[in-house]
Amino acid sequence: MAKKKPDPFFIGWAKKPPKSLQGFLFLISAILVGAAAGVAFGIGSSVPDPGDARFAWGAGYQTFTGYVDAKPYPLLRLPAGENGRDKPHAMLISGIGKRGMQQLAGPLDGQPVDAGGILLKRGDLDMLQVGGKVSLRAAENPVQNFTPAPAEHLGKWRLTGEICDGKCYNGAMRPGVGLAHKACANLCIIGGIPPVFVTSTPLMGSEFFVLADENGEPLTAEVEDWVALLISLEGEVERRDDLMIFKVNLDSAKQL
Amino acid sequence: MSVKYVPVIWNRTKFVYDAVVLATVGAYLGIYIYIAPMFQTVTRPIDWDIYKAQAFGTCVFFLLTFILCIGPLARLDKRFLPLLYNRRHLGVITCVLAYFHVDNILGWYNAFSPINRYVSVFIVNTSFDRFLGFPFEILGVFALLILTILAVTSHDFWLHFLKPTLWKTLHMGIYLAYALVVAHVALGALQSAAGPFMTTAVGASVALVATLHLLAARKEHLFDTQQNTMDDSGTWMDAGDPKDVPDKRARIISITDDERVAIFRNGKKLSAISNVCAHQNGPLGEGKIVYGCVTCPWHGYQYRLEDGKSPPPFTEKISTYRLKLENGRLWLNVKALPPGTYVEPTVSPIMAEGS
Repeated sequence: MAKKKPDPFFIGWAKKPPKSLQGFLFLISAILVGAAAGVAFGIGSSVPDPGDARFAWGAGYQTFTGYVDAKPYPLLRLPAGENGRDKPHAMLISGIGKRGMQQLAGPLDGQPVDAGGILLKRGDLDMLQVGGKVSLRAAENPVQNFTPAPAEHLGKWRLTGEICDGKCYNGAMRPGVGLAHKACANLCIIGGIPPVFVTSTPLMGSEFFVLADENGEPLTAEVEDWVALLISLEGEVERRDDLMIFKVNLDSAKQL
Repeated sequence: MSVKYVPVIWNRTKFVYDAVVLATVGAYLGIYIYIAPMFQTVTRPIDWDIYKAQAFGTCVFFLLTFILCIGPLARLDKRFLPLLYNRRHLGVITCVLAYFHVDNILGWYNAFSPINRYVSVFIVNTSFDRFLGFPFEILGVFALLILTILAVTSHDFWLHFLKPTLWKTLHMGIYLAYALVVAHVALGALQSAAGPFMTTAVGASVALVATLHLLAARKEHLFDTQQNTMDDSGTWMDAGDPKDVPDKRARIISITDDERVAIFRNGKKLSAISNVCAHQNGPLGEGKIVYGCVTCPWHGYQYRLEDGKSPPPFTEKISTYRLKLENGRLWLNVKALPPGTYVEPTVSPIMAEGS
């Protein structure tokens, strides 16, 4: 009598799958778990480097005394000698979370101030998240013999790069750039955090430009449409201490 | 099969199925979150919340890919049919993981702002006229909405309430959800937050889903375009040599592009029933006669051959068809009888059981 050909048939409610299928199902299960592990390792271990950007929690609460510029976005003008720098330094400031400092900085524009908070650092760049006891106030003991230098005009340029928010780029988020981060960057900009332009190639040693409109005022909400895209922008570049300001007309923006 | 609704009718197969799914998800998330970071070449690690969001998000994408591969795989190779059995649990788990992804994103990228985090998803990026820069989060929201509807309506209560055809149509929404997720990933993570491995894996996944569906569709198309001879009256279709119908199994005849009949043989007896299971439209003709009843290969629903009714206390019923033998050929009456209509099986005296 000829041996009957096996005809395995799986029924979910049966006690067990047919014997001839058990090996196959075990193999599939093992492949699934193995593939999951392999893909997870492959993706997780090859994430792009978000850069050396961070909150400097280790440095603790820090206080700076200098002058504040309210426009285009609040920044501190610090004398030489701060944090070991041999030249005056201009540093962006922000509030806690996705909030700018316009309300506190506006009335103090051009005046000596004390500012206290936590530093954010990305390489040579830094930003102060203002808060705590000192926050931003008129200086109790202004720095003697220091007046911020006037802005240095560096001409008209067309630069290529990406608009992001100055706080996340400086270390509030990792990664703090790119389209995946666009909503976060827009929320920051809406909240008053300065939009910045990170260029593909450096201009006079700098890849980091605080954006302003052509008159040096904050940009309108139109900037949000251009955030996180690779674009070129045209405008006047000026330098305040070691910080570049890029005064642009957003009509010049071109997506690349 | 059940005559009353309970949250989940557990059985050994479902436990094993879910255990394998949870092991797969656990392996993915565990290795992504805890092992892979040790091998990253980064100056500083990605924010914990964002990294977890990536882990959950990619896990959801690959689970959806796998879910969509099961159908065509089972069409191409019957050994994959067991993967269909508890696919609903897989879908629900995928939906839950999608919420973890969203929770991590909203709790980080959309947090720390005066704007409500849920509202912010819809208002902070309105570049709908752009391709790059399009608010890809909205695509994810729609995909999540679909996954949620599918997860909530995955229970048999909804299947019976909506009826199989509508329920099945609704659950085909998984394809729209997948398309939205692919666009969500392509316009979001792949633009900046992904390494080359992820880009490759996402591309390969989409290609795999498309290829398997094309292969399965080709197989179905070839089957549906087979011509069977009709008699002069246009009522009876030549169903071939009865000996070609394997014992306890069926031969499937395509009457039209969207109507198939399964001719089963149980020893010497031949019966024809609809190829469509009343539960989830499973292909009954790929089932087998077990305990005297045709058993659906998807979820094991059973029907009697002679009247297409599920044995009591179950109430499902399907259409039956008439058969006749003439000059050693089997002929099928193409007119479907009302579901549950008794038809005396056709007896073929020349066949022995088990042949």
